Amino acid sequence: MTREETAMELDDDETAELSPMTLGVYYRRLFPHNAYYKWLNYNAPATSTEFTHREFSFTINDGIYLRYQSFKDMGEFQRELTRLSPSKIDIGAIFTAVPKHAKSLQPGVFRPVAKELVFDIDMTDYDEVRTCCQGGSICSKCWRLMVIAMHVLDRALREDFGFSQIMWVYSGRRGVHCWVCDERARQLDDAARKAVAGYLSIVRGGAEQGKKVNLSQRYSHHPHIARSIEIIEEYFEDVLLVDQEILLTRERWMKVLAALPDEELRKTLDAQWSRRPDRSSVEKWSEMVDIVEKRASKRGAKFALATFERDMMLQYAYPRLDENVTTHLNHLLKSPFCIHPKTGRVCTPIAHSQFDSFDPFAVPTLSQLLKEISGGNGDPAADKSQEQSQEQSQRSAKSFSSLVGYVDIFETFVASLSPSSNTHTSQSLEF
Amino acid sequence: MFSQNAPKREGGGFGDASAAPEVVRRSRYPTRLSVYADPPDLEVSIEEFEAFALDRLQVLRSIEDAQLRAKGEEDIRKRVNEALEKHLPLHTNRSKLPPRQLVAERRKDHVSHFILRLAFSRTEELRGWFLRYECALLKHRFKEADIAEKQELLAAAKLKLEHLSPAARETRLGNASLFYPPQEQLFEVDFERVLDLVSHLQVVLQGGRAFVPQSEVATLLLHEFRQRLTRALAVCAKALPQMGEDERLLPVLQNLSSQTARSEYQSTGAAGAVSADNVDALSSGFPLCMQHLHTQLLKDHHLRHGGRMQFGLFLKGIGLGLQEALVYWRRAFGNMTDDQFQKGYAYNIRHNYGMEGKRADYTPYSCHRIIMSNPPGPGDHHGCPFRHFSTDRLRAALHRDRLTDAEVREIAELAGAGHYQVACTRHLEVKMQHRKAQQQQTSDTETHISSIASPNQFFDLCIGDCKSNGSKQSHDRDVQPVAPTAAASLPPAGLQKGPAYSYS
Repeated sequence: MTREETAMELDDDETAELSPMTLGVYYRRLFPHNAYYKWLNYNAPATSTEFTHREFSFTINDGIYLRYQSFKDMGEFQRELTRLSPSKIDIGAIFTAVPKHAKSLQPGVFRPVAKELVFDIDMTDYDEVRTCCQGGSICSKCWRLMVIAMHVLDRALREDFGFSQIMWVYSGRRGVHCWVCDERARQLDDAARKAVAGYLSIVRGGAEQGKKVNLSQRYSHHPHIARSIEIIEEYFEDVLLVDQEILLTRERWMKVLAALPDEELRKTLDAQWSRRPDRSSVEKWSEMVDIVEKRASKRGAKFALATFERDMMLQYAYPRLDENVTTHLNHLLKSPFCIHPKTGRVCTPIAHSQFDSFDPFAVPTLSQLLKEISGGNGDPAADKSQEQSQEQSQRSAKSFSSLVGYVDIFETFVASLSPSSNTHTSQSLEF
Repeated sequence: MFSQNAPKREGGGFGDASAAPEVVRRSRYPTRLSVYADPPDLEVSIEEFEAFALDRLQVLRSIEDAQLRAKGEEDIRKRVNEALEKHLPLHTNRSKLPPRQLVAERRKDHVSHFILRLAFSRTEELRGWFLRYECALLKHRFKEADIAEKQELLAAAKLKLEHLSPAARETRLGNASLFYPPQEQLFEVDFERVLDLVSHLQVVLQGGRAFVPQSEVATLLLHEFRQRLTRALAVCAKALPQMGEDERLLPVLQNLSSQTARSEYQSTGAAGAVSADNVDALSSGFPLCMQHLHTQLLKDHHLRHGGRMQFGLFLKGIGLGLQEALVYWRRAFGNMTDDQFQKGYAYNIRHNYGMEGKRADYTPYSCHRIIMSNPPGPGDHHGCPFRHFSTDRLRAALHRDRLTDAEVREIAELAGAGHYQVACTRHLEVKMQHRKAQQQQTSDTETHISSIASPNQFFDLCIGDCKSNGSKQSHDRDVQPVAPTAAASLPPAGLQKGPAYSYS
């Protein structure tokens, strides 16, 4: 199974289709304004500061970056979106004042006060783990690492932190984003976000560190570790050993052995596998586990040997977070339902029940959507009947394009959000 | 567990205060430790004002120093205790000291805290510094205190704690109960109150509630203290402009807070003006962290954000101007198009030079910052090799720098003992010795320099040493990273070749 057979490059000629014109059509007829507005207004009966004080930033004309955009209501948002047709929308924090006026306010007066707790998992951080693709490309094999990541984080956020309003989004290219929308999560300050990110980051250390998971034995009783291992065990053999073949070549197994805290075992295994390099990763893994277990049970063995298998499973399959995105209230993150500028794919929500079945390659691209609504195999009436109001044409375009399933997921999520108990500006953090 | 509601000054009650002489018990300071809930209402002379504050500042600085340079927890403890003994002693009620002295010590502790609060409320950076080391001081004192004093402090902080009964422990925690020692008392609190413990996975969480063992109750105390002090500092900052009238206090306050500017590196332009062309040639004088980033940049034609920041600001510090920096990075990122470079990277470079965004003139990272914040993740090459490399990789890197086996072993041991900056300093000393040996100079004197606090300082010393061709005074030059007075020994800002740096 070589790289050529399985890798599917996402960078096709989609990019050619992205223009202010095509984006304009998308924002006018396909973008789910209503649900989107309800989401960021948190279902408040009237437009609240949650929406009006929220920073958006738009990338327009391929590279001009407009920060501190804000809108007084849904109408203005919709008009500006269509007018500017940004190639990318980023969502920032909710501020103490309307972000549009940021430049005219004192730095101390204008500051961020709330935002969803967000996570960004990018496949490039798995480059030292995956063997099928590198860099910007992904395939159905390495995508399963994302599936593991979503399961592990989602359960930790729900069970450990008690959050329930969690939306997962496919970034449109090679990763996933997570938006935790519970009010308690939105109110966390930078220090708290940092602590949550620290709690959820088990794999630590730079490119120059062999063993990246270092947890003492008692952590096997920690519910987060125990549960993560349980989830990873379901996938480990299939995803890491069979699909990724992490022990196939000497170059690969040396990376695993580099983390083994016993010189002698390292040499033994290296010699053994060099003699029989054709054995599968599954066989090699079980040999390694056996020999390490035997040594660990001896008196005076390093304790790190006893946890070696657990730690290596974590090192290879535990989610790798881009912590900077999570730790700063003021950090912007790409919005759901914008078009990925490189792939042309829509950033679509992933239903909580569909982590395993979600297929990133089935996500529609902008050009595909445009074909669908401009006649092709879609409703021919949508474009032709001029007497139809814009709203009607919008509704019909939305109802038959292949985006509809994803919009449904989004609407269901938004409907589940509870309105804020009070506006953020009037209360302090008191627990 | 703790008698939360016990009146503070109740005579004969359980606690340290009961051991205090009558005079102390009836004074404003019946207990030794304080969370500084109320401001002092006493008169303070202007001399006392400054002397008290300076003494406390010495203590806070010693804590910062100890955290950076000490070998392990025990050494930190010893150093902080020494500083406290010297500058801010606080004796227990059981000590046989005259009551008048006990009260005087406590008054000094109390008053000095509030003066520094005022002095350090001016900017966010100063507030952050003060907060960090006041919390560290309280943490240290709490650890050192006896049981009675601990209880008094917890009572004074009025913590709300929900205690978990052994039966509830079983039903609520199940197997997770094994994570804690069997006999340990547990408290249940919102996770936001024990962020330090959450961050290091030291507590079990359930639905947003954290189970905190008795042994970590100090974390709760510190959280409460930090919250209150943060709020108090914000209030002080607002009140500060109103004090502008007072000509006696303001200069003192400003002088106090300016004395922490120590960790900021001041560019000396030791290498003269640096152009994009001679960065590679100068790399032999880079400290290990920068050598590594430089090598990786040449190899991959790319560095991730953390690496670009650490290396970019370092280059700025050695005298690489903005235009030259743009040329250098453009060349280094040889694999991308001009368009990609302009869009993705040029902005950041200009930003570092204060030409974009909030136009702050950024200074090179100090060792403290590189070691303590933003540790490298997968694929990252920034950080401190002595801190973030595995031992094997560190040894290999040192061997590549042509050190002998014995030297490599010595330095790796220092790094292994958590003495990162000392290891780096030793690396520089060894490099200088090698150079002298090469130039066949008699090296009867041990090269000795004081601890490296910034990669740029390493470079300046290394290049300075090289330039002076080993003339004796240069490598005996003692660098004072502390030096509130160091600014005086630098040439006036206008004469410096590199950009001028200011602490802001």
